[in-house]
Order: sequence, then structure tokens, then C-alpha cells
Amino acid sequence: MHIPDGFIAPQMYLPLYGLAAGLWAYGARRVGRDLDEASLPWLASLTAASFALSFVALPLPGGTSAHVTGVGLLAVLFGPWHAFMAASMVFVIQALLFGDGGVTTLPLNALAMGFVGAISAYGVYRVTPERWRVIGVFLAGWIGLFLPALLIALALGAQPLIAHDAAGVPLYFPFGFAITLPALLIPHALLGIGEGALSVLGWRLVERLRVRYRND
Amino acid sequence: MTERYVARPSGTRLIQGRPSDHADTTAPTYLPYAATASTEPGAAVHPKVRGEQIKLLAYALATVVISALTEPLWLATALFGVILLAGRDAPTLLRRAILATLAFSAVVSLAYIVQTVWISGTIPWKWLWSVNLRVLVMALLTFVFIRRTNLFAALAFSRRLSFMLVLAVSQSLGLRRTLDDFRLAMHSRGLRRAGLRDRYRAAAHAAGWLLDRALANAHESAQALQSRGLFR
Repeated sequence: MHIPDGFIAPQMYLPLYGLAAGLWAYGARRVGRDLDEASLPWLASLTAASFALSFVALPLPGGTSAHVTGVGLLAVLFGPWHAFMAASMVFVIQALLFGDGGVTTLPLNALAMGFVGAISAYGVYRVTPERWRVIGVFLAGWIGLFLPALLIALALGAQPLIAHDAAGVPLYFPFGFAITLPALLIPHALLGIGEGALSVLGWRLVERLRVRYRND
Repeated sequence: MTERYVARPSGTRLIQGRPSDHADTTAPTYLPYAATASTEPGAAVHPKVRGEQIKLLAYALATVVISALTEPLWLATALFGVILLAGRDAPTLLRRAILATLAFSAVVSLAYIVQTVWISGTIPWKWLWSVNLRVLVMALLTFVFIRRTNLFAALAFSRRLSFMLVLAVSQSLGLRRTLDDFRLAMHSRGLRRAGLRDRYRAAAHAAGWLLDRALANAHESAQALQSRGLFR
């Protein structure tokens, strides 16, 4: 989802920047205590892969397609903090180099899609029993898309409540929860099935290649 | 001739001037900006880098101020100011800004018009002007910033962040081009449009290839950085 600048009130995006900055600082320490010759290019390559994953078409019935986020797959393969940092870098690159998405929506996207998406996907994958790994990867892909959609729907729906004039007219995004929740959750619940399926196929392929990403 | 900054293999300091025997001719010309940032206290910052960092700071402040504006008159004034700032690029950048925001803004605006007309029988003119002007001004400001600023230099306050950005962007563009090749290859190999199953398998293979390539790129970059002694 690429929400342009101007729809999110400063009352929301400024505190979110503070929260995101803390998580980015912690994430940088988790990814590599101090980014060095090995961890820095690794994170850069993961960011590039995450960026390119967003251009992989997610096939939909009827010949149409949406785009993969890949956060669930990245979290399963590389861990939630790597996935979060890579996704965050992608949002920075998209916003500041390509003008795609906004700088005021960057912390919301990073926290929802990057952090919550990666943590939830990894959590679901980890709690799934070993013999149901495929189901775990599928659910990781699904929840890595659906839960961020829920958070973004809540953030958008909160705009009329936190920023309105004396007459109650909204100043930023105008629709409340009654509209944003179904408008985002229903399509993303369905898109999540495709993301989950693609995560399983991508995961199987990587497993088949027997590439030990984690140890490199 | 493009000005080049060349990294010496023996250390982190850089020299400015003509390409030398040590120059990495494949490196983007913006890469050395990254290395001008130093962790040494009191180290001099390249004037160009300082200029780009000031632009980044000004952009951040302007973004916060404009995002807080709600009066259409102020927003129209801001739009005028940003158009002046864009100079000769204004028509091109304005067109890009409109195209980049049109889909989201149009859907939200039309839906809100329908809702308010349905409920109160009036068109929310003030909201339409203020939100759409704000969205347009902020998008235009971003495109002007992108056009006028070398982001790699602006982020050169952190060598590692800047290096990572350069590596990520250069690899991203290469991976994206290869994905386009994959897509075109698939289209060219069938008279009919591929079925859902085949498209899923193709997408999964593309994703798998991306991750495999990312690992290879990481190794190559790590070896390149190590061999050049950029972290010592």
C-alpha cells in the first residue's frame, strides 16, 4: 500500500517516527552488533532482494496480479529483525529515491509491514509444529500481509478522531474504522492466500537449494 | 567531465581529482561521497556533502510544516513556492507528482464526496482543496528534493549507512532488471497467457532466484569491501 504524504496527521506520524527510530536502532544492533564487512553487505543484499520481491507479481485468478510483500518469507528464512531492517530500508529507498510512497507514511509502513509483519510471521512459523512446517510458512505469509493491513486500517481510521476542526470535519484521511477496516481487511485476507502460497513455493525452493543463508 | 573521488585501497581517506590507477571504474560516481563521512572527531566534511545534508534537513522541516497546514490559502502559497523552487523542471515534476498521487487521492476524494453528499447534501469543498493541495505540494516537494539532492551524499554522516544504501540501491536496480527479463521470457515462451499454476511457479522461482542472488551479492560485496580495506 502506497499512501501518499498528506493523509496522515503529524500528531500520528511524528510519534511513530520516534517509535520506529528506537526499533531501527535496536534492529541495527540485533542484525550486527556493529555493521562490518560481512553484515553490512548482507543487509544491503537482503534489502535489494526485499525491494525486488515487491516487483514479483502475485498471480490472481482471472489473469490479474497484485504484488508480493515478501516480508513473511524473509522473516521465516532470515529472522524477524533482518526482515524488519531490510523492509525499512526498502521503504526509505522507495520514498526518497523513487518518490514512491511518502516520507510521512514511512514509519507507519515500516512499523506495520516491516516490524509487525515480520514478528507475526516469524512467531506463527516458530509455534507451528515441525511436521506442519509447510502450513507454518503458508500462515506466516498470510499473517505477514493481513496483520499489517489491520494496523494500517486502524491508523487510517483513527485520522478523523485525532485531527478534525471545531465542527468535527476531518482534516486528513476522512474515513473512520467502519470504512477502513472492511475496505482493507477483506481484500488483504484474500491476497494473503496468494502471498502464503507464494511463500511456501519460495521457501521450498530455497530449502531445495540447501543454501544456508542464516550462517553466511 | 564528471568529477570523481577515488578510494585508496590502503585506508579510509579519499583523494579528489582525476581517476588514478586505484580507481574502481565500475563504481558509481556517487559511491565515494559515502566514504567522505568519517567517524573521526573533528574530521572535515566535504563542502558538497555538507550542502546536501542541509538540503535534507530543510526538506525534512518543510515536510513537517506543510503536513501541518490545513488552510487552502496557505497550501496554495506553499505550492507556488515549491513550483518556484522547481524552476525549469516544474512542469515535468508537477506532472510526475500528479501521476504519483492521482490514484489514491482520486479514490479517497470521490468516495468522500459521495459520502458527504449522501449524508448532508453538500460537497466538502474545503476538505477537497486542503487535502488535495497538501498531497500535491508534498509530492512535488519530494520530487524536487530527489531532483536537486544527492541522497547518498546527504546520508554521508554515517559511512556505513551510506555504503549500505549505495550497495542496496545498485543491487536493487540490477535485480529489478533481471525480474523484467524473467517476465518477458515467460511471455515470449507461450502463445497463450500462462495459467494460474504456471504463473505461481514462475513467481516462486523468481523469488527463490532473488534470494539466491542476494546471497551471492552479499559475498561479492563483502569481499570487495574487505579487499579495499574500507572498514579499517
